Amino acid sequence: MMSKKVSNQNKAGKAVEYTEVLFRVIFLLSALVSVLSVVAIIVFVFAKGLKPFFGKDAYSFLQFITGLKWDPNKNLFGILYMIVGSLFATLGAIVLGVPIGLLTAVFIAELAPKKLVSVIKPGIELLAGIPSVIYGAFGLGVIVPLINKISPTGQGQSLLAVICVLTIMVLPTIISLSESSIRAVPKSYREASYGLGASKIQTIFQAVVPAARSGILTATVLGIGRAIGETMAVMMIAGNNIGGLPTSIFSKVRPLTTNIAMEMSYASGRHQDMLFATGVILFTFIMVINFTLIRLTKRLGNEGPLR
Amino acid sequence: MNNKNWNNRKMKDGLLRSLIYLSTGVTISILFIIIGFVLYKGLPGINVNFLTRNWEDKTTFVNVKADASKAGTDNQDYIASLGITVKEGEKNLIITKIDKKSAVHNAANLKNEAYGLKKEDIISKIGSDNTADMSYADALKLLKESGGTLRLKVVRPGGGIVPMFVSTIYIILLSLAIAGPVGISAAIYLNEYAKPGRILNSIRFAIQNLAGIPSIIYGLFGMLLFVQTLKMQYSILAGSLTLSILLLPTIISTTEEALKEIPRSYREGSYGLGATKLQTIAKIILPGALPGILVAVILSIGRIVGESAALIFTAGTIAQIPEGLVGGKSSAATLTTKMYWLIKETGDLSSASSIAVVLLILIILLNIASKMITKSFLKKTGNA
Repeated sequence: MMSKKVSNQNKAGKAVEYTEVLFRVIFLLSALVSVLSVVAIIVFVFAKGLKPFFGKDAYSFLQFITGLKWDPNKNLFGILYMIVGSLFATLGAIVLGVPIGLLTAVFIAELAPKKLVSVIKPGIELLAGIPSVIYGAFGLGVIVPLINKISPTGQGQSLLAVICVLTIMVLPTIISLSESSIRAVPKSYREASYGLGASKIQTIFQAVVPAARSGILTATVLGIGRAIGETMAVMMIAGNNIGGLPTSIFSKVRPLTTNIAMEMSYASGRHQDMLFATGVILFTFIMVINFTLIRLTKRLGNEGPLR
Repeated sequence: MNNKNWNNRKMKDGLLRSLIYLSTGVTISILFIIIGFVLYKGLPGINVNFLTRNWEDKTTFVNVKADASKAGTDNQDYIASLGITVKEGEKNLIITKIDKKSAVHNAANLKNEAYGLKKEDIISKIGSDNTADMSYADALKLLKESGGTLRLKVVRPGGGIVPMFVSTIYIILLSLAIAGPVGISAAIYLNEYAKPGRILNSIRFAIQNLAGIPSIIYGLFGMLLFVQTLKMQYSILAGSLTLSILLLPTIISTTEEALKEIPRSYREGSYGLGATKLQTIAKIILPGALPGILVAVILSIGRIVGESAALIFTAGTIAQIPEGLVGGKSSAATLTTKMYWLIKETGDLSSASSIAVVLLILIILLNIASKMITKSFLKKTGNA
């Protein structure tokens, strides 16, 4: 009688142990899905994207990244002008977006009365959540016609239009990250600054913002990532020319992302491979940005109070 | 000298202060201009038809049993044998009213599937006669005098967003069904099981990387793996699988934050009562983290609703309600992809903006929902 009870308990114990292990493995496998996904994405995109540069009838990689004309019908696949377009557009968006975003963040974190914050902050969260297609429609309906009026080239779809829309799109990222890192600056910094006789504005710009700089830097890098990877909004307003470096802010551009998105639906064979190759170049940029970001956030983690 | 310095400082402060106000003003006016633009362009196009109809016109032949005994009432536009009232359309008849007991409710298409007629359906052929070939009065007469089983060609007008709305919901449900369990389990592993080391580092590294990959790359990958290699064709399953990967970082990190909020003492208490780790997770930690998990789900829905670049190459751009998970009839456009397609193919900014209004409302609702959940949660734990 007694022994039977014990063996039953043992059995139950074993079953419990078994499910414990089973679930542990399930949880681990789930966590490994993300690793697997990254590896799969890299392998698939790179394998397809690098194919045209190897084997018989290979396309010269040098010609690919230094070419100034993209014309699949004539077997011309040059993307240098797209790289330049992407970089200029991103640079422009960051140059405009970071100061505006940072100053707005300063306003929200330091100057605005609480009531106003409770209105502005949800507004900025909404700005972050708006689908990029809507930004594209907005660019097409408002910004492009405006530029059309002042542009010497007589067309509104241009680098300038792209910069304007990308600036708007990176703003929410920059504002919310900068704001939280400004808020994370210890109160003692401000008090010390006031104690030395500094005014509120001086305190903000000489003590608080410098103390929050790594958070602001992270926000900037994230903004760069968002700007360079943005596709749908940019595609509608960039002009998407088939060749030529942009010579002014009124030139048409064709960022890397839109090159892929515009032609992928009907491309096949080498043309399709070349679009994947464009993806590889874009991916390489993104990975550099990701590595920078991971470095930065690691450093932030070690620094203590700044998130 | 000192005074001059003081003035200098005041000027500088004033300048910087006005720069701050200017920037904030710019940000806020951008928000207003965008929303204003969408509403101004989009609101006029929003009406009941837009919200309730299919996107494409649909033409169907149907068989209806007319009740000959009721034929021949005088009432002008009323067809007693069918129990419907019609009005004159462009070379056709438009149904304006249907009686409760009307035979057209039981109409069937040629495959003998039920296809009940609705208000605003257009009748363009009666039996073998095209309504375009006769006058309205003649067509009316023909309809009134026909008895027995009647074959009608019916056009159901489109111009609505129902298919895209339904597809969006399908893709949301499917993506969450895939990414939710995986993401939450991953977060549980990271927060409850993982010990510092190489595995944990590589998982964290992968998640951070996934978060930074632009959606067009996800689109490329999904097209290559799911659409082409696994032969799913453009389908909602291919789209949802692609989106699931894209959502993982959001779900994992938001859930992890929620798990971290659960105090250590809860776990210790549970262990102290003799519960196993799994029991503690299932009965103590997950219920406690539920609001955080809900927020993760809402954030994911927001991303799915707004996503387009990853979907045009995986789920396609056809405005139809998908009839399966994979294969030819399962391709579907979501609201955002349709909006993009409209602008690109037809330049129809007005209809696109009407879709944008719907999208904006969805996004605002999601934002409010996540706010409310977080707030009520904070109240409960006394951190408000």
